[in-house]
Amino acid sequence: MKIELKKFGTTLTSRQLGKEAFAAFLPTLNSIPKREEIEVDFEGVTTFTPSWGDEFLTPLINNYKNKVLLKNTSNSSVKATIELLENVGSMKFQIKS
Amino acid sequence: MTKKLIPIREASGLLNVSIDTLRRWDESGKLIAVRTGKGGHRYYRQEDIDQYFSNIFSLAKSWAFSSTPTEPEDTYYCQISSVFQARLATMENTLRQFGTSGDISPLITAITGEIGNNSFDHNLGNWPDISGIFFGYDPTKRMVVLADRGRGILETLKKVRPELENHNMALEVAFTEIVSGRAPEARGNGLKFVKQVVTQNPISLIYQTGDAKLELGEDAPEIIIQQSEDSFHGCLALIRF
Repeated sequence: MKIELKKFGTTLTSRQLGKEAFAAFLPTLNSIPKREEIEVDFEGVTTFTPSWGDEFLTPLINNYKNKVLLKNTSNSSVKATIELLENVGSMKFQIKS
Repeated sequence: MTKKLIPIREASGLLNVSIDTLRRWDESGKLIAVRTGKGGHRYYRQEDIDQYFSNIFSLAKSWAFSSTPTEPEDTYYCQISSVFQARLATMENTLRQFGTSGDISPLITAITGEIGNNSFDHNLGNWPDISGIFFGYDPTKRMVVLADRGRGILETLKKVRPELENHNMALEVAFTEIVSGRAPEARGNGLKFVKQVVTQNPISLIYQTGDAKLELGEDAPEIIIQQSEDSFHGCLALIRF
């Protein structure tokens, strides 16, 4: 399945809104088979931060692990956030080129 | 040639503050009026108004450090998080319009977001006096200023690091260590992100909480924390790019 982050907004910065976004998306996530790949598309996102990312991406990774792929991550704030979350969580995101 | 003087009512509109506030500012010396005419009415010099606008950092600092808690003027005041989110999105657009380099603009918005959101996340329901933050920016001077009259980093971090003794230690932990305990609720590593971004890009940061003042930049990637002569209970940040 594909998650288009721009549908949650293009300036994704606050922890509170990240949490709300994940909660809103959870029913959809729960309806897909665990084996299915989840593609998180950053296309159209103009600003991204670890606070928002930690509330959305971290639980996604915790639940779906290596089934999660990140796409269109060229925005500088997206790249910097991924770097920080990888350092903090001692993990590696899979980036789809 | 006599320079044009601006009547107090007009100045009030320009600065987005009440006439009473301008009178108080005149009495306290914050923005001094010129008295003319029989009744000694207050007027303002254009250059004083311009100067007032030009120094957002001084405004933020005097608000955050003031012993008399007052709300900042509407131009800079984000009382609740949603107001801050909206103004942050506006800043993002403004930076783009001013031609701020494509890669830097999202990073400036991101670190501004982390610093501002930190203030809200760490003080929600616990603001000591004035709730919310001061948020101002000047794209021509390439600066962003944020301030709060919250509890400061030491008090909020002490909940997970009770051994912290002073603002200096708290500031260092906030910017360098991954706080893994994160109880009682999820807390980000926003200031670590700020450090990472600032030290890898042409951006500089001054951040003060309590009596500890940190300076960081691409040229000064190591954390330098100095004891400041003045102290307050919140946080104050100046980002330059």
